[in-house]
Amino acid sequence: MKWLEKYKPEIPVLEKESDYPEWAISLTSTLLNPTGTWRIFRPVYLNKIPPCNNECPTNEKIQGYIDYVKQNKLVDAYKLILEDNPFPAITGRVCYHPCESVCNRKDYDEALSIHCIERFIGDWGLKNVSFEKPITKRKESVAIIGSGPAGMTCAYYLAKHGYNVTIFEKKTKLGGMLRYGIPAYRLPKNVLNNEIKKLIALDVKFKTNCSVGKQISFDELRKSFDFIVISHGAHQNRPLGVPNDDADGVFSGLEFLSIINAGKKVKIGKKVAVIGGGNTAIDAARSCLRLGSIPTILYRRTKAEMPAVPDEIRACEDEGIKIEFLVAPVKVLTNKKGKVSGVELIRMKLGKPDASGRRRPVPIENSNFTMKFDTIISAIGEQVDLSFITPDIIKTDWGIKADFLGKTNVKNIYAIGDCVTGPKTVVEAIGYGKRTAWAIIGLEDKIIYKSENPVKFTDLNTDYFEPLPKIPMPELAVKFRKNNFKEVHTGYDKHMLVREAERCFSCGVCNKCDNCFVFCPDLSVIKDNSAYSFDYDYCKGCGVCAHECPRNAISMVEESKFEEFNKEKLNRG
Amino acid sequence: MKKVITGNHAVSYGALLARAQVIAAYPITPQTQVVELLSEFCASGKLNAKFIKVESEHSAMAACISAAATGVRTFTATSAHGLALMHEMLHWAAGARLPVVLANINRAMGPGWSVWTDQNDSLSQRDLGWIQLYCESNQEVLDTTIQAFKIAEKVLLPVMIVLDAFVLSHTSEAVDIPEQSLVDAFLPPFELKTKLDVNFPRSYGALTNPDHYFEIRYKIHKANELAAEVVKQTDLEFYQHFGRKYGVIEPYRCDDAKVIIVTSGTITGTARAVIDEMREQGRKVGLLKIKLFRPTPFDELRSILYKAQKIAVIDRNISFGHSGIFAQEIKSALYGMAGAPPIFNYIIGLGGRDVTPADLRNIIDYTFKTDTPPTNIIWQGVRL
Repeated sequence: MKWLEKYKPEIPVLEKESDYPEWAISLTSTLLNPTGTWRIFRPVYLNKIPPCNNECPTNEKIQGYIDYVKQNKLVDAYKLILEDNPFPAITGRVCYHPCESVCNRKDYDEALSIHCIERFIGDWGLKNVSFEKPITKRKESVAIIGSGPAGMTCAYYLAKHGYNVTIFEKKTKLGGMLRYGIPAYRLPKNVLNNEIKKLIALDVKFKTNCSVGKQISFDELRKSFDFIVISHGAHQNRPLGVPNDDADGVFSGLEFLSIINAGKKVKIGKKVAVIGGGNTAIDAARSCLRLGSIPTILYRRTKAEMPAVPDEIRACEDEGIKIEFLVAPVKVLTNKKGKVSGVELIRMKLGKPDASGRRRPVPIENSNFTMKFDTIISAIGEQVDLSFITPDIIKTDWGIKADFLGKTNVKNIYAIGDCVTGPKTVVEAIGYGKRTAWAIIGLEDKIIYKSENPVKFTDLNTDYFEPLPKIPMPELAVKFRKNNFKEVHTGYDKHMLVREAERCFSCGVCNKCDNCFVFCPDLSVIKDNSAYSFDYDYCKGCGVCAHECPRNAISMVEESKFEEFNKEKLNRG
Repeated sequence: MKKVITGNHAVSYGALLARAQVIAAYPITPQTQVVELLSEFCASGKLNAKFIKVESEHSAMAACISAAATGVRTFTATSAHGLALMHEMLHWAAGARLPVVLANINRAMGPGWSVWTDQNDSLSQRDLGWIQLYCESNQEVLDTTIQAFKIAEKVLLPVMIVLDAFVLSHTSEAVDIPEQSLVDAFLPPFELKTKLDVNFPRSYGALTNPDHYFEIRYKIHKANELAAEVVKQTDLEFYQHFGRKYGVIEPYRCDDAKVIIVTSGTITGTARAVIDEMREQGRKVGLLKIKLFRPTPFDELRSILYKAQKIAVIDRNISFGHSGIFAQEIKSALYGMAGAPPIFNYIIGLGGRDVTPADLRNIIDYTFKTDTPPTNIIWQGVRL
């Protein structure tokens, strides 16, 4: 007990009044009997999981990069995003931002516009940060089938770790659904092209116009490469399944989008019916409008059940596109030449919930009616083309069977993205691609699983925040955008970026606000440049620090359970 | 430099010139202007002090105590209910022997709700160990504020400067505001020996068992006794620096007086004029102004008052069920003196009711013509 020696008391003898101190001050240092011995609860700095990070399908460290923005460290912000998502300029535009739907700030005033922040950083990074080079070289080779978001992401992380990656792409250009599915007014082609340059910098090889099963066989790939990653997506159109659904003037949604996104001309009529309620339907309808037609969306349920992203539905309505709800096609009507002249429809009503949890549409008998159209675009969903996959790979009802890490039943063959899950989102594909890269490299411990306990709104002390409305994504007015394919969302400027980032609560993560340091009644919070710590000799365990922490970055642990807690923490890393 | 300022601003200038380092206060009528001006001084950089806004007077005093424990000069101001709310912390400041300086603007306690002056708020805080100094003019307010820091730091006791609501607080007079350099020479920075030291952490104000508590209380009283002397010395030193002095009490035309009236606060100013007028008429009447209420200047009181034939103590306060508080003090001071004069106790002007020269003439006349006080208290001006 060295410290005891140091403070070895020389207790003065109190014989008379003049021996006493002026007031009730202890005669010896309190280091002899530190107040820490009173403690039954111990505060510990323990960062928790912000709900945004937790909800992101590719586990972007959202709170982290917003914190860098607050500190004006944009390079760090950009690099932090790239750890989990190589293409923030893309996701900043097209991600449906599930992070925002769980942002704790929504229970206070409005959720943060995280996607606007991500987009700014993504664009800024493309202009200001040089592309990454492989950190090492390895001999293993990987074939990736399909250059959509899943395949490109997987390629990015593998190539960064030195793998020899070759992407096989059926189409002329790279990007998959990003290029051929998403219209330019949502994702300009130059942004996509610039993001793809990252792969070139990492020495990824590309074989375009190379359809596996035609130009090269799947077996050949298996022989020539150590690993195969199947990520060819879900591009096959699902037919309408009504009479005349192959008539002249009927397009599949994806086929239509693919033609115009390739910059080719497509002949459509003035009055276009778009059948379906997903993002492809919305993209098709808004593209038709831009080509000078009058589109009408026909959907068999109501707006609440539409699978499309609400922001897209709103933009669609803003542009004056009509949506007919609770109608389903019965038959495509044709003229004498066999060309589309309209569609016969039946009114629907909502019945009991189906497997998806949405209420099933049920036809109302004898409610048939017809509408006149020149063109019909069917966008009722896409399927996975499984024709080239060898039979030894197990499949599901909708695609290839693979686990969370992309592992199929065959060693060293992985399948990721829409070809496993059916049509999902860009960010889910990116997340899948990243996880599979870690699995192949052997960095499984980097994989983050969704937590059951992200920080809740009620965990925060919101006394320290002031209401501040969000800055919505700036966009072109309808009259300036509805006749062209100019990008609708114009993005934040630097001022907006900083102002919006300031709104972040930094849920569960210490951002050195000093509250604990200021409030501790026992001066037991020790601050040095990099972090805070507690002086447990004096901390009485009152919990003021934990209570006043605006973001729940301090936990109170029962003193008797501290050892246990520490072990658990070590195990978790 | 002479300036026409209110009593409240005289307090502010006093704290400014004394270079208060931490000011914590909560606003209350009629004190608000004191801290308003101080906050402006702090904001403009004229006064290099930390101004702490608090949620109550209790917190204001707690903040002053904590700051004072680190060895800095601290100041606050309040009034009536604010002072009452501070009560626990007032005990603490004295018990911790911290030289906090407080200006209290005398305001009557509610209910009935009042913002006007009487002395019950400050006199209710009689037994805490605080030094209390009552002021008559705005100049005295400023000078006493400066003196208060010096007294407090010398004896390690908190000091309360007391002035009447509105009659002083909101009334403007010409006040000589001394040069900062002169004040610095009079009131140099001080070092608190018992200040908090992070390198030698000790327990401050902790549990003190019966074996030790008594001695520490004794020391507070001893410091109070010393303070009676220190207040006098400080006033003399102040006189040497600035040419103004007030004394702990001030006898006015008392030498051959048959009746001496005893006053405090602004009634003294009114009384001076009445005494002059009656002296001109040949009446042998004198005035004793009490400035230092605690610690009680026993010797000074006795030396002046025992010579009179009758004493009229004028109390703008009341200890319910007993009498005026100044009267009690005078009685106890003269107790046991052979041939001590009878003491007439007049209660007057509660809740800010005007105390006029006519009131004082009536009191003096009545005292002259009455041999012994008919009752313990004589209520002056109450509608009976």
